[in-house]
Amino acid sequence: MSERCVQSMIKVFESVGLIDEAKHVAEVVQFVRAYKFITAGDLYAKGNYQDLQRYPEVDLAIAADVETTLPSLTEAVKRLITDDRKRVYQDRGAKLGDARQRSLERARTEATYGWDSSPITIARLSAELWMQIKNEDWSLVSDVQFASRWPMRLWSFDKHYQFIGGAGGAGEGYASPASAGAALANKKHGRLSVSINGDGDMMYAPGILWTMAHHHIPLLKVMQNNRAYHQEYMHVQRMANRHERGITRADIGTTLKDPNIDFAKVAQGMGVYAEGPISDPKDLGPALKRAIEVVKRGEPALLDTITEPR
Amino acid sequence: MDLRMSDSLFRRFVRQAHVPSESVEQLCSPCSARLKAGMCLIQRCRPKGRRCKTAPNLHRHSGSLVASLLTLTVVATLLALPAKSLRAGTTGPAPQDEKPPAGNSQNGKKLFTSYGCFECHGNHAEGTSVGGPRLGPNPIPFPAFSKYIRQPTGQMPPFTIKVTSDADLADIYAFLQSLPQPPKADTIPALK
Repeated sequence: MSERCVQSMIKVFESVGLIDEAKHVAEVVQFVRAYKFITAGDLYAKGNYQDLQRYPEVDLAIAADVETTLPSLTEAVKRLITDDRKRVYQDRGAKLGDARQRSLERARTEATYGWDSSPITIARLSAELWMQIKNEDWSLVSDVQFASRWPMRLWSFDKHYQFIGGAGGAGEGYASPASAGAALANKKHGRLSVSINGDGDMMYAPGILWTMAHHHIPLLKVMQNNRAYHQEYMHVQRMANRHERGITRADIGTTLKDPNIDFAKVAQGMGVYAEGPISDPKDLGPALKRAIEVVKRGEPALLDTITEPR
Repeated sequence: MDLRMSDSLFRRFVRQAHVPSESVEQLCSPCSARLKAGMCLIQRCRPKGRRCKTAPNLHRHSGSLVASLLTLTVVATLLALPAKSLRAGTTGPAPQDEKPPAGNSQNGKKLFTSYGCFECHGNHAEGTSVGGPRLGPNPIPFPAFSKYIRQPTGQMPPFTIKVTSDADLADIYAFLQSLPQPPKADTIPALK
């Protein structure tokens, strides 16, 4: 490994706090030089262009596929675990389990605020959706960032395919087509694919609705319709206030109102089963049931729910 | 400005910021002291790339943790103001005990929308984990509320007197006070 690469590795170790004191640097240099670096990352590229053409200097680059490799790698690691380490892992697991339970209780309490209010809170939307899918073989094929991470806080994720993750680069307009792609991949496994889809995101490529209908992609899209490109809306307001301009014009170009978009009609027009707009939280549960029945029959469905911004 | 905080107030702001107290208790004493003083320990620690030895995970700068600690610092600053007055308070009642100015909650609800408060805090002031915190019911004392809106920290934009009048603030505060208490989580089937 070249000196440049050794120095890069040291910077990485420093940045994640693995080197606390300068006196440890020499030990780390020795460590870095003594070990071989192997990567299986060359075939890994997301929609995020930052990943492309960035090959780290390594001793051995393996063209590997994670889904194929991980099961045997996991078994190999398990065989190497000693009884002492196993006890450490079990203790750590118990502590994490307790922390998770406390976190869940806090989230449940937080979710009660605005429970019966309209627009529907994202907490309620997430809880109602969880009620309908928790006994199914489900997969959340959208990100949770703009949904205030409520699914992460209230749901129980224990399988690798239950969460697709985000765009990787704060990409706008990613969720609508990405969720359809993931649902298509889930189809052959018979999984129930659901997504929480922002209205601003849907406006980038609404044609995905026709694609879903045309290819019979079973996916439930629950709209998080806050009638705005909301991230931008908040940002413009912040900037306007910092310049003491008031916010009376912060909605120009950032909101999706006058007229409001009827996403149910848009979806129906492209051949997708749809209901909405749903603004009363009491209507949400029954509508979810009906839409999930459609998805279980192998077709896409959309619910246009009018929600809180985040 | 003296931003030091008594232990009891420190505990209180930890509760109000919804940060698990056990996380805070893990901090080493220098970091804990800085937090109590209303300083941002993230900004201190990041440039040096060092971690608190007794709670290394608190310095990994994960999104949620940074948000929690920034919130903590913001609320610390916020609540330190009445704390100072309480310590110095030999004249007049403590600000926390002062009655807030009378406001019109209905107008406050409209202002909460027109001033864009709802954008980060939600229409029902329930707060979000990726925007602003919950504001009601049971808002913080009015002097601290008013002070923070005029001179906020972090991502919160300032609403100066040029943009928002004192009367409007009183109406918004009345709206926050008027919000109903939520139902208990264990009475809601979807949350069981």
